[in-house]
Amino acid sequence: MIAGAWICLLAPLAGALAITLAGRRISRRTAGWISTLTTFAAFGGALVAFVGLRATDSADREQLSTAYTWLAAGDFEVGFQILLDPLSSVMMLIVSGVGGLIVWYSMGYMHGDDEERRYFAYMSIFVFAMLLLVEAGNFLLLLVGWGLVGLASYLLIGFWHKRPEAVAAAKKAFVMNAIGDATFALACVLLIWETGTLEFFGVFEGVGSMSSTTVNLVALGLLGGAVAKSAQIPLHTWLPDAMEGPTPVSALIHAATMVTAGVYLLVRASPIFEAAPDIQHLAAILGAVTLLVAGLVALVQWDIKRVIAYSTMSQIGYMFMAAGIGAYGYAIFHLMTHAFFKALLFMSAGVVIHHLDGEQDIRKMGGLKGVMPRTHIAFLVGTLALVGIPPFAGFWSKDGIISSALATGGALGWSLYVAGLVGALLTGAYAFRLYYTVFRGESAGTEASHAHEAKGEGPLSMLVPVGILTVLATIGGLVVIPGVWEPFLHWIDETAESLVEPTVVQDYGTSAIAVGLGLIGLYLARRAFFTNRQLVTNPGAWRVFEHKLYFDELYDALFYRPVVAIATALRRNVEEPIIERSLDEIGAGTIQVGGEVARVQSGLLRTYTVAIAFAVCVLVIVFVAVR
Amino acid sequence: MDGPGVGWYLIVAAILFGVGALGVMLRRSPLIVLLSLEIMLNAANLTLIAFARQRGDLDGQIFALSVVAVAAAEVAIGLGLIVAMARRRLVLDVDRASELRG
Amino acid sequence: MGNVLVWVIWFLGAGGCLASGIAVVSVTNPFYSALALIGNLASLAVLYLLLAAEFLAAAQVLVYAGAVMVMFLFVVAYLGGRTDAPWAGEPAMLRTAAVVAAAALLVEVVVVLGLAWGDSLQEPAEVSDSFGSPAEIGELFLTDHLLAFEITSIVLLVAAIGGVVLGTTPEKEESA
Repeated sequence: MIAGAWICLLAPLAGALAITLAGRRISRRTAGWISTLTTFAAFGGALVAFVGLRATDSADREQLSTAYTWLAAGDFEVGFQILLDPLSSVMMLIVSGVGGLIVWYSMGYMHGDDEERRYFAYMSIFVFAMLLLVEAGNFLLLLVGWGLVGLASYLLIGFWHKRPEAVAAAKKAFVMNAIGDATFALACVLLIWETGTLEFFGVFEGVGSMSSTTVNLVALGLLGGAVAKSAQIPLHTWLPDAMEGPTPVSALIHAATMVTAGVYLLVRASPIFEAAPDIQHLAAILGAVTLLVAGLVALVQWDIKRVIAYSTMSQIGYMFMAAGIGAYGYAIFHLMTHAFFKALLFMSAGVVIHHLDGEQDIRKMGGLKGVMPRTHIAFLVGTLALVGIPPFAGFWSKDGIISSALATGGALGWSLYVAGLVGALLTGAYAFRLYYTVFRGESAGTEASHAHEAKGEGPLSMLVPVGILTVLATIGGLVVIPGVWEPFLHWIDETAESLVEPTVVQDYGTSAIAVGLGLIGLYLARRAFFTNRQLVTNPGAWRVFEHKLYFDELYDALFYRPVVAIATALRRNVEEPIIERSLDEIGAGTIQVGGEVARVQSGLLRTYTVAIAFAVCVLVIVFVAVR
Repeated sequence: MDGPGVGWYLIVAAILFGVGALGVMLRRSPLIVLLSLEIMLNAANLTLIAFARQRGDLDGQIFALSVVAVAAAEVAIGLGLIVAMARRRLVLDVDRASELRG
Repeated sequence: MGNVLVWVIWFLGAGGCLASGIAVVSVTNPFYSALALIGNLASLAVLYLLLAAEFLAAAQVLVYAGAVMVMFLFVVAYLGGRTDAPWAGEPAMLRTAAVVAAAALLVEVVVVLGLAWGDSLQEPAEVSDSFGSPAEIGELFLTDHLLAFEITSIVLLVAAIGGVVLGTTPEKEESA
C-alpha cells in the first residue's frame, strides 16, 4: 500500500527523466505517451494506496514512510518521507487522475508543436512536484514540492518563450509565488526554532506550547504562501496573465492542481490554524473578498480563458472560505469537484480554441453549438456544475460551504454566508454569459473564414478525456449527499476534523437559495445576450472591472516603480562613480606607481654601480654589527 | 716575519679597492672600466693572501688562485663584448649603452 | 739589517701598487692604462712574495700580466683610435656620489676591520718554509679543494666557448 504511494510519487519523475535523457532520439508522440502513461501509472499507484488505506483500520490510517535522512544539522533532522493518510490519498488521486487526463489531452492539443518533448517533460516534472507536495510528510519536503510546482508553472507558462507576453507572465507568476515561498519559509524557520522539528506530527504536538504571537506568525507565514500559490487577493494578479500558457497547462496547473495547493496547506496545517483563529478567519475573509471581486471582474472579460481564470480565482475563494471556518471536508470536496468541472471547462475551451486555430476572443465566437455538438454538451455540463445546479458536481460541494458559513454563525458567519450567496449569483451570470456568447446565437463570422466544418471537433486524444471529465462533473458530487451518505466528509474528517457541521435543514435551505440565485444569474445572462446588451452597463463600473480593479496599476506604482527608481539611482550614484571608477583608478594607480618605480631603471651602468657601492657599505656595517 | 705587519697590507688592499671602485664608477670607456675591475679583483686577492699568511692557512692562497682564473675568464668575455660592440660600430661609451632602461 | 730591507721593499711594492692603480684609473689613453695595470700586477707580485706566496706571485706574473694583459693590449691595438675615451663628464651628482661611496668603503673597511680585528693582527702565525710553495698548493688543490679546481676549469671552458661565440657572430650576420 505504501509502495503504491511511492510509485505514485516516482513514476512521473521517471517519465520526466526518460524524456529529458532521450532528447531527440524519441519522437514527439513517444514523449507524449511516456508522459501520459507514467501519470496514469501514478494514478494506479494512488489507487492501490487508497484501496489499501481504506482496508486498514481507522486508527492506523496515518502511514509515514521515510526513504532516508535528507538533512541533518545538529539535533534537527529532516527525512525524505511521505505521508499516506486519508487527505493525502484523496489529493493523490485527484492530481494523478485529472493530471493524467490532461496530459493525454495535451497529446492532441500540442500536436505539431516544435518543442513537444520539452512540454511533456515539464508536465511530468509538474505532476511529480505536485505529488511531492501532497505526499510530503514534513513541512520542508512540502516546501520543496511547493517551490518545484512554482518552477514548473514558470516553465510551462513561458513555454512559448518567443512570445514576450508569455515570458513576462511567467516571470510575474514566479515572482509573486516567490513572495509566498518566502513567508512560508519564514514560518518553517519559526517552527524549527520553537519545536525543533518540521515533521507534521511533531509540529502539531508542539503547537500547544507555543506563544500566541508565535503561532499567529507561523499561521500568517503559511497563509501568505497559500494566498500567493492560490492567487487570492492580494497576491492574485499573476493568474489571469498565466493564461498565456497553453490551454492544457491552464487546465492542470491553474485550475485543478497548483492553485489548490494553498487550500491543501490550509487543511493540512489545520492544527496550527486552529491555534491561531484570527489568522484562520482572515483566510476565510480573504476567500470571500476574492470570490466577489473575481466574480465581478469575470463579468466583463472578453478572453475565454480569462473568464475561466477569474472563475477559478472565485471558486478557490470558496475553498479558502471553507478552510477558514473549519469546514475542511467541504473545502477538499469542493477542491475535487472543482478540479473536475474546471478542467472540463478549460479543456472544452481548448477544443474550441484549437478548432478555431487559436482564436480566444469570445466576441469572435458564436453559434458553435451546431458545429461542435459534443464540446457543446461538455461545456454546458461544466457550466452547470460551476453554477451549482443539481445534480451536477458543484451543487453538492459549493452549497455545503455556504451552509457551513451559516452554521458558523456570528458576524463572521453571516457575512461569509451573504458573500457566498452573492457569489452564486455572480457565478451564474458570468458563466452563462460565456456559454451563450460562445455557443449560441449566430456565428460572428469566423466560421466562414475557417473552412473547418470538415475537420471535425478534434482528435480522439482530446475528446475522450473531455468526455471522461464530463461524466465526472456530472456524478462526481454524489459522494456527499447531506443527511444520507457522506463518506467523503468522514474520510477527510479522519485527518482534519471539521469545526462546523451544518444541519440538514440548513444545508438544503441554503441550497435552495443558492440554486435560485444561480438560476437568476442564468436568466440575467440569457436576457442580456438575447437583447444584445452587456451585463454591466454602467461605464464607470465597466472600466473598473475591466482593469481588474486597478490592482496591477496599484502594484506597479507601489512596488515596481520605486524599486526601479532606487535601482537606477544606485546605479548612477554608487555603482558607476564609486565601484566601477574605483576599479579603473586602482588600475591607473598601479600603472602610475609602476611608472614611477621604473624610473629607477635608468639604463645607466654607472648609476647602478654607485648604488651597488653604497649597498655594500651598508652591508658591511650590518654584517659587522650583527656579528 | 720582519717588516710590516699584515695590517699594512690590508690597508694597501683597501686603498687599491677604493681606487678601482672609483674607476668603475667614474670612467666611461668600457675598456677602462674593465681594467678598474681588474684592480678591484687584485685588491681582493691581496687581502686573501695577507690573511692566509696571518692565519698560516693556505686556503686563502687557493682562493686567490681561483680568483685569478675566474678573472681571466671574465676579462676574455668582457673583451669579446667590447670587440663585438666595436665591430658593430657602436660608440664605446658606457653611458650610451642604456637600452635596458625602465 | 734584514728588517730595513724588508721595509724598503715593502714601500717600493706598495707605492708602486698605489701609483699604478691611480694611473690606471686616471689616464686618458687606454694603452697607458693597460701598461699601468701591468705595473700594478708586478708590484702586487712583489707584495705576494713578501707574504710567502711564491707560487701565487709567479702565477700572477705569468697568467695575469703575461696572458691577460697581453690580450688587453691586443684589443687596445685593434680598436685603435676609437678607444680615446672621455672622462666621466655628466651629472655632477654622480661624480660626487661615486667619490663619496668609494671613500666610505675605504674608511669603513679600515676603521671597522681595524676596530674588530686590530688585536688579532699583531702576530702572524708561524709558517714553515714550504708555505706557499707549488708543492703545497698543488697538494691542496688535488685533495681538499678538488671541487673548486674542477669547477674553475669548467668556468674557463665556458669562457673559451663564449669568446668564440662572441667572436664569430658578426661575420655570419654580415654574410646573411
